[in-house]
Amino acid sequence: MLDARARPAAPEAGALPISALLPENTLKTRVPQEPVERVTRPAPSRYRNEIAKYFVHRSQDCRLCGKCTEVCSYGVHAHPSGYKYFGEPLHHLCIGPSCEKTDHYCVAHCPNGALQVREDPMYQVLGDARWSSDLILATWKMAETGDVPPAGYDYDYECGKSGGGFDRLRFRFPDRPPVALRADEIDTSVCLNKRGDGRPKITIDVPWYGGGMSFGSVSNVTQLSKARAAVAFNTFTCTGEGGFMERMRPYDDHVITQVATGLFGVREETIQRVPIVEFKYAQGAKPGLGGHLLGDKNTPAVARMREAVLGISLFSPFPFHSVYSIEDHMKHIDWIKHVNRRALISTKVSTPTDVDMVAVGSYSAGTHIVHIDGGYGGTGAAPDIAKKNIAMPIEYAIGKVHRFLSDEGVRDKVTLIASGGIRSAYDVAKAIALGADGVVIGTSEMVALGCVRCSRCESGRGCPRGIATTDTELAAKMELDWGTQRLINLYSAWRKVLVSILQRLGLRSVSELRGRTDLMMHLDYTNNGAKTA
Amino acid sequence: MNAELIKRLADSRKRLAVQLNHSSHLKKEAEEGGCGVVGFCCSEPVPGKHIYEPSRQMHNRGNGKGGGIAAVGLVPEQLGVSREILDSHYLLHLAFIDTKVRPEIEAQFVTPYFDIAVTGELDKVADWKSVPGLEVLPPDVSRYFVRVKPKVLDEFIAKNNLQSLDRGEAEDEFINQNSFALNQKYYASLGEKRAFVLSHGRDIMILKVVGFAEAIVKYYKIEDLCAHEWIAHQRFPTKGRVWHPGGAHPFAAIDMALVHNGDFANYHSVSEYLKQRHIYPQFLTDTEVSALLFDLLSRTYHYPLEHIIEALAPTTELDFDRLDPEKQKIYRAIQATHIHGSPDGPWFFIIARTLARQKQFQLMGITDTAMLRPQVFAFCDGEVQVGLICSEKQAIDATLLSLSKDDKRICPVADRYWNARGGSHEDGGTFIFNLQKNAAGKYRIVCTDKFGKPVPIPGGTDSCDFSKEPVAVSGNGVPTFESLRDQLPQWTFDEFRAACRQITEAAKDPAKTAAAIDVLTQLNDKRYPTAAKRRSHVLHVVRTELNRLFASLPNVAATDARPGAFRLIDFETRQHLRKPQEGETTLVIDAAHFAPEGDDCDAALLVDAYMKGWRHFISFNCIGQRYIGCGLGPDTDDVNIEVYGSSGDYLASGIDGMTITVHSNAQDQLGQIIKRGKLVIHGDVGQTFMYGAKGGSVYVLGNAAGRPLINSVGRPKVVINGTCLDFLAESFMAGDPHQGGGFVILNGVKLDEQGNLISLADPYPGSNLFSLASGGAIFVRDPDRTLVEEQLNGGKFARVTEADWELIRPHLEENERLFGITIAQLLTHQGRQRRPSQMYRKVVPGSVAAIVEDEADEVTAEAMEMAAK
Repeated sequence: MLDARARPAAPEAGALPISALLPENTLKTRVPQEPVERVTRPAPSRYRNEIAKYFVHRSQDCRLCGKCTEVCSYGVHAHPSGYKYFGEPLHHLCIGPSCEKTDHYCVAHCPNGALQVREDPMYQVLGDARWSSDLILATWKMAETGDVPPAGYDYDYECGKSGGGFDRLRFRFPDRPPVALRADEIDTSVCLNKRGDGRPKITIDVPWYGGGMSFGSVSNVTQLSKARAAVAFNTFTCTGEGGFMERMRPYDDHVITQVATGLFGVREETIQRVPIVEFKYAQGAKPGLGGHLLGDKNTPAVARMREAVLGISLFSPFPFHSVYSIEDHMKHIDWIKHVNRRALISTKVSTPTDVDMVAVGSYSAGTHIVHIDGGYGGTGAAPDIAKKNIAMPIEYAIGKVHRFLSDEGVRDKVTLIASGGIRSAYDVAKAIALGADGVVIGTSEMVALGCVRCSRCESGRGCPRGIATTDTELAAKMELDWGTQRLINLYSAWRKVLVSILQRLGLRSVSELRGRTDLMMHLDYTNNGAKTA
Repeated sequence: MNAELIKRLADSRKRLAVQLNHSSHLKKEAEEGGCGVVGFCCSEPVPGKHIYEPSRQMHNRGNGKGGGIAAVGLVPEQLGVSREILDSHYLLHLAFIDTKVRPEIEAQFVTPYFDIAVTGELDKVADWKSVPGLEVLPPDVSRYFVRVKPKVLDEFIAKNNLQSLDRGEAEDEFINQNSFALNQKYYASLGEKRAFVLSHGRDIMILKVVGFAEAIVKYYKIEDLCAHEWIAHQRFPTKGRVWHPGGAHPFAAIDMALVHNGDFANYHSVSEYLKQRHIYPQFLTDTEVSALLFDLLSRTYHYPLEHIIEALAPTTELDFDRLDPEKQKIYRAIQATHIHGSPDGPWFFIIARTLARQKQFQLMGITDTAMLRPQVFAFCDGEVQVGLICSEKQAIDATLLSLSKDDKRICPVADRYWNARGGSHEDGGTFIFNLQKNAAGKYRIVCTDKFGKPVPIPGGTDSCDFSKEPVAVSGNGVPTFESLRDQLPQWTFDEFRAACRQITEAAKDPAKTAAAIDVLTQLNDKRYPTAAKRRSHVLHVVRTELNRLFASLPNVAATDARPGAFRLIDFETRQHLRKPQEGETTLVIDAAHFAPEGDDCDAALLVDAYMKGWRHFISFNCIGQRYIGCGLGPDTDDVNIEVYGSSGDYLASGIDGMTITVHSNAQDQLGQIIKRGKLVIHGDVGQTFMYGAKGGSVYVLGNAAGRPLINSVGRPKVVINGTCLDFLAESFMAGDPHQGGGFVILNGVKLDEQGNLISLADPYPGSNLFSLASGGAIFVRDPDRTLVEEQLNGGKFARVTEADWELIRPHLEENERLFGITIAQLLTHQGRQRRPSQMYRKVVPGSVAAIVEDEADEVTAEAMEMAAK
């Protein structure tokens, strides 16, 4: 009899070509993989008058002398040639009253006192405590330029204004880094397979990947933009539960197929195509509630993909009906491992109080990645009553799971990924310092694509900005190249910020940052005057 | 028992807890998963080695961090005691994690209070590391046969005012409280656990280890220790580092042992409920709490078993409505009193206990109301009777096979296999095997349900003598199935075996192999009259010959193989897998010895073989191997798989085009996300059948367990000839059946042992039929109109139209071809042919109900028809 533990060692699957691991009929459906260049290029707003922090008011006293155009180095005062009058100032380019200190402040130069610069009332109502207006605008700026927002804008993009969570955590940066490191010496990659089980040791270049958003919840263009950005940064994006679009196939190698409780669009083929398969047990934004796609968003294309009835609300049950225990979970994992012999398995769970036990249980059931999703995330489709109110705050959950995995002696055999409210590179660094290996991002990508956090994702035809919609007319408002570039730019900017954090801390890699809570402080619990960022 | 006495008992427990400074901190130690549970009882005592195989079989339901077994109904001679002492004395099993504490524990908790008849230390293997499956050194175990010293008992009774309590019960309580005190001092109160009580009861013992359950049999050398009842448990705790077996199952209460598969959602509520009654958990797992709960209801409240079960798994909804009013009154009172102590969430208990006064033993399985854990019951009648309860059918098969090797009177095929329907008005979700002595003084087993109703066991009195080898009759042709079927009633078993043996002999001629397989397969799949012969024995004969035939096929590894279409591959020769050669069509996989999952499983071999060009497969000798047919990818229309034996979970999941036929009962999670293809099951299917399915044509001869076809979309077309437990086609979204969408036909019939078609009393007994569905339809054969609105949740009854009948008829025709259940039979009710619309009812989603014909029209039509006559 074969003892389960005495099996011969599995061959190093990573060394075998895919053709040895997948049936030909799946390989037949494999299309050439399309590369995407990791190059930052300007990707300005899709709107001429993007919401801005400052508002430039030109009064009737203007005599069209053109002085302002001459002095402004940001290009706020557009005066197209051949036109008599100025166009509406490009407010979003204006760095605001701090310009006063410079020698090119238009207000000071205006001979007639016709110009005024003040805070835009839109700025005041934009966003919310978690996603402050500064954070949204800074994210837009990063997505536009691929770089850290210029200091002049004075965006506070390190924290939101929630007064809790990551917003109360700060790094204790030393006055001078203990080791001087060049940016190019710093390693931001993360290995996703720590089990040593013969499956590929997939490594991603940045410590984050894109979260699951289904076709149905977001548009085709949004999904593809995410996938292409993932290709450019050698990381991943996740299909969400609505199935696998044909147009995603050139990016298969960077896609995670999600197996969620509704099993919509999950077929053997979609499991076999990809290097990672994610089980979604719950979402931190709405633990105990399944997915729910309202009838309005169940358009013909969505209904076709999910093979469901057009226009009917689609529910995913809360639990997997086939998994009511840890050994059911193991069976579930074994199934996917059998269907796709090269796949890594990720298990996404929300953060109940016993999330530590769940994590260890998942590990022993054979998962490669434990993905814990805290309560801060969630788009407009998650009910307000659930968001932030059910799951444990992610900053507590990460530490709890990290410590328990360490105590159990398995921390180095499983990858811990955190998500739910990761808004910036600072949040990424904080999550890692608390004990995660990496993070999953969702809303930040939507913001990069122009989301204003209006929380109307689920209603009617969906997103007014054409991001989280399947309405063809609305979705047409965004182009693929633009969406891709915005995300590539965001990723680049984040990576730069992350590298600078590591530089300031004197760490050579993100993996050195993992679990370094000693490098952080909580504003509510320490007040020893250590220098904060 | 009167309230005053109950109060005094509770008070005595309270005093003890206060005295011992018991902390009321109640946090579960570890989340625990489903685990694997098995229990069996036998009318004769059988040795411990037979719990070994089923335990090993359930490896993949545990993680080797805890295993335990219990034995009930022991043999006095083996324990070095007299029958009288075994019957009357408490068998105390103490585990010493720290062996040094033994003298002090004996001085404190044993010698001062007990008259000890016999004591001894359990024998064990010298080097624990030589026993596979052990994680840490198991505890030393001492066994004491004791009675409470009369003077001690008098003092106990006086101190606690229990004079009016039966003296025997007072003694039970003393034992209970003494164990509580011991556990508190040497286990619960310490960071470092040193010793604890494994079991305390009459004629019952428990052993636990950190490791797999079967290691116990080897480590404590109890291969030959005999008992009437055995239960075992493989644990899957989520804590990785477990260094002592205190938290492993079974958990003991006086005269009982309980194992549990599942995880309460309301551990705190149940613990609070117990705390209010001054019962305090010490091991902090929900299994311990379950044992305490059962003990409270039984020993303190003196509830009859039926009411204990009702308090644990309340009868609700439609099932409650269907109880008779007297019962409703009692049940309502029980629920009102005990609902907070009723475990919520997935759970399944197996309990073995001694009824010391009646000199009886019981083995029972209780499932939760929502039936969230898998469970199978089986009964093997005959000179030696065996009753079995397991999480998975292959554990039953493994047990019976192990038993039958020792005792040829036991047939490896049980007479009946069935599932319980949790919280139902029919069986109460519980079955109890009662071992009691008959007039001749021999133990016999009677199986009853929660209500005490005996479980019918199929007839047949003639047994086959399996101790003899069959001898083939002469001749080298393969007879037809029909000729064998017609002769069988007149034949003796020996003649039948000879005929079957002759078929397997004839199969050695490659030209006749296919025909031989076909005939034996039909004998296996179909129902036909057997006269007085036990059908289980007939099946065993057929299956033995089939396996013999398969095993004798030329192996792929053989260099001088005979020509022929079939090639055998087994665990030994799996490395010799190669492309099919000229004339070879079918790869026959002997699944025995293959792991049930992982890189080395037979399902992986099947994928490899498919990639090498094989297209037809036979998989036999399955013992729970999972994922058969999975992983072949899209467009597999040219693939065909025949499965024999106890195939495992997830069979046919995700198939896209191929045909799979299962020649026996199938397990849980069949046909998940099935895309296209054909699946035929000559038996029952387990839980969450076809979850998230997108298509496929599926035919099930028997029943589906709970939650079939949930969240199905696309175009699945399913015929279930039996019934389903509950939640059939919840959130079904399979479009419009008349535009290519999906549907389910539920026939509500069964074939009896002799092949007669019988209508079930309730084609669908559960609730939540087609609830929240938005597409597709259900066609239920329900001539008596037993289905009521209350069973629907959002669905509506509609009339079966001509177009509907045209839609489903081809599927019923195929069903007829496969299983011999004819459309004519299905349309016959009370001896009369009916119209399809009279026999079938259609359930459609509420959202489309407005546009289909109302079922009331049918009633009118029927009335007009009657009037016309």
